[in-house]
Amino acid sequence: MKFKKALAAAAVATLAMISLSACSNKGGSSDSSSTKIPTKITKKTTITFWHGMHGSQESTLKQLTKDFEKENPNITVKLENQGSYQDLQSKLNSTLQSPKNLPTITQAYPGWLMDAADSKMLVNMTPYINNSKIGWGSAKKSDIRQELLDGAKINDTQYGIPFNKSIDMLTYNKTLLDKYGVKVPTNMAELKKASETIYKKSNGKVVGAGFDSLANYYVLGMKDKGINFSKKINFTGTDSKDVINYYAQGIKKGYFETAGSAGYLSGDFSNQKIAMFIGTSAGESYVKKGVANKFEYGVAPRPSKYTMQQGTDIYMFNQGSADQKAAAFMYIKYLLGKKQQLTWANATGYIPVLNSVANSKEYKDNTDSKVPGQLAKAMKHLYSIPVVKNGNAAYNGLYPIMQNIFAQAKKGKSWNSAIDQGKTKFNSNWNQ
Amino acid sequence: MKQNQKKAWLFLAPILILVTVFSIWPIIRAFIMSFKGGPIINMQYNGLANYQYIFSDPDFWHAIANTAIYAFVTVPVALIISIALAWFVFSKIKHKTFFETMFFMPYVTSTIAIGIVFRYILNGKYGLLDYLLRAIHLPAPDWLDDPSMSIISLIMFGVWASLAFNIVILMGALRNIDPNYYVLADMYGASEMEKFWRITLPQLVPTITFLLTVNLIGAFKIYTQVYALFNGAAGQANSAMTAVFYIYNKFQVVNTPGVAMAATVVLFFIILLATFIQRKITKKVNS
Repeated sequence: MKFKKALAAAAVATLAMISLSACSNKGGSSDSSSTKIPTKITKKTTITFWHGMHGSQESTLKQLTKDFEKENPNITVKLENQGSYQDLQSKLNSTLQSPKNLPTITQAYPGWLMDAADSKMLVNMTPYINNSKIGWGSAKKSDIRQELLDGAKINDTQYGIPFNKSIDMLTYNKTLLDKYGVKVPTNMAELKKASETIYKKSNGKVVGAGFDSLANYYVLGMKDKGINFSKKINFTGTDSKDVINYYAQGIKKGYFETAGSAGYLSGDFSNQKIAMFIGTSAGESYVKKGVANKFEYGVAPRPSKYTMQQGTDIYMFNQGSADQKAAAFMYIKYLLGKKQQLTWANATGYIPVLNSVANSKEYKDNTDSKVPGQLAKAMKHLYSIPVVKNGNAAYNGLYPIMQNIFAQAKKGKSWNSAIDQGKTKFNSNWNQ
Repeated sequence: MKQNQKKAWLFLAPILILVTVFSIWPIIRAFIMSFKGGPIINMQYNGLANYQYIFSDPDFWHAIANTAIYAFVTVPVALIISIALAWFVFSKIKHKTFFETMFFMPYVTSTIAIGIVFRYILNGKYGLLDYLLRAIHLPAPDWLDDPSMSIISLIMFGVWASLAFNIVILMGALRNIDPNYYVLADMYGASEMEKFWRITLPQLVPTITFLLTVNLIGAFKIYTQVYALFNGAAGQANSAMTAVFYIYNKFQVVNTPGVAMAATVVLFFIILLATFIQRKITKKVNS
């Protein structure tokens, strides 16, 4: 008898557990339609912020957060590191099922949160931006660069606020370029010529140039020809083939290369195996460390009309209380303050998102980093991946397609059939 | 008729609950999700559409083929080398425990860490292996960045990584063989080869069967090795795309969890079938 009772108790406990976990899966959709934005936080409020920052990026973020908490004693910001961007994306993806466990705000690419936006799980930031007390009064008054704001929109709604942004730039070995009498290239034709010269003059020991991101290479190559990244692109069309052939021919002849499985060319660059490479401005600290005193390096705008703006924005989820949302917005606004932006940009290599800071003397005069001096010129024309269905997947799918084509070129074989295969993949990536 | 003691249920309850919640429920959920489409927060039933998608997706077949090649090459090769090494250490070498520990070390080291070391060894520009190959005037392929080499590199890595566990288990089995068999064999003047084929190997069959099953299932689920060797990607041009990598990609990057779960279900049945056939064959061999 005793045993039966125990068994029954165990069964009840199990049932309770299952029903509990079932409960946590439901609910949480926006119940508190907080039309009124509190302009002051009088009660103790805690907000959580999921991020993917490491090293000096994370320590600077922690410091800025501490300063914010000192100024706003009622607000506590819990910073929660979720690992790499890929980990952060997976964590968000899986937590979207149980919205109660979502943070108040998170770093994210807009493409990750399209479904969340469709399901009305995100907070539209416009009322906050336009609120003259808690926000800036208007988007214009915020002084945030317009293209960056536009890049943080989903379905034309301002869900995100740009925060840690970087752009593609050209890094070059100044010592070597001077030695061979090569000028820093300012367009793609010059890049090709400069690379050929370096490769020839070094007797094939030093490769001319390469691009870290093959996806950016293709997307920007097309954009420079006036073609936006969309499912309408004809992958085997003349323009597309022109873009591909430019790089592939260089690889075949030896004056261009790709990063391969290393992912970045900064390693080859600091070992003087390659003279120039195009990569993110946020990677400068790695270049600096690798190069040390071996030679002098320089940074220049990407040798093309457009450059890619990349990096995440900050998004807010709907399930927080009105106070939490207001507090979170105050925190975001604080991070985007002039002083904070200057500290952030100098310590991390990310670009300031405010026009006034990017153009300020204090920023440009930074002697530790070579990016600031070139930034204004480099950011003239910014482009970002359009936030549309499968856009993210199609962009990521460009890597294997390009790698496949360039692997043929490296072996000296024809890459035409690889482009044809690429077309099939490219189209199926857009239509899944 | 044997009767299970009813009390046993009580003692088994904690683990039964854990297994149900964390192992059985996810399997059932995967089955259900494989018949649904749309994003994870708003999934709708769409019948067999996910299965139709994966069966007509060349990438899926490429991933399955890669996984099968990896499993059916790595597992037997690793097992043969393990048997040879274990036998060698057991019968020919002094300070057995030292070598046993040495061989076991890779098993307790993180795959990611080993992957980083392998990346240095296999690097096409600065790698140790290519340096040695060039020194003896052999062609030095680009192990990591040439798509046609990816699976070969992965198999090399897989064989090396599975030796540790196999050798330790086999050493245990070798110790359990009754030494009197060998004494008797020596009395009748059996050669080393005869002793190995007639005594050692037959005695090892149950252990080998176990290792074959465990290794095969593990090989079909390969993911970490690919991630470690190719720096978080499935090799250049997705040349080392495996089934689990495909599933992860469809779930997390492309955001089509239904497709990912359909692929999971297919992989589940492939592993089930492979294990079933393998058990049948070994049973036949044993009898």
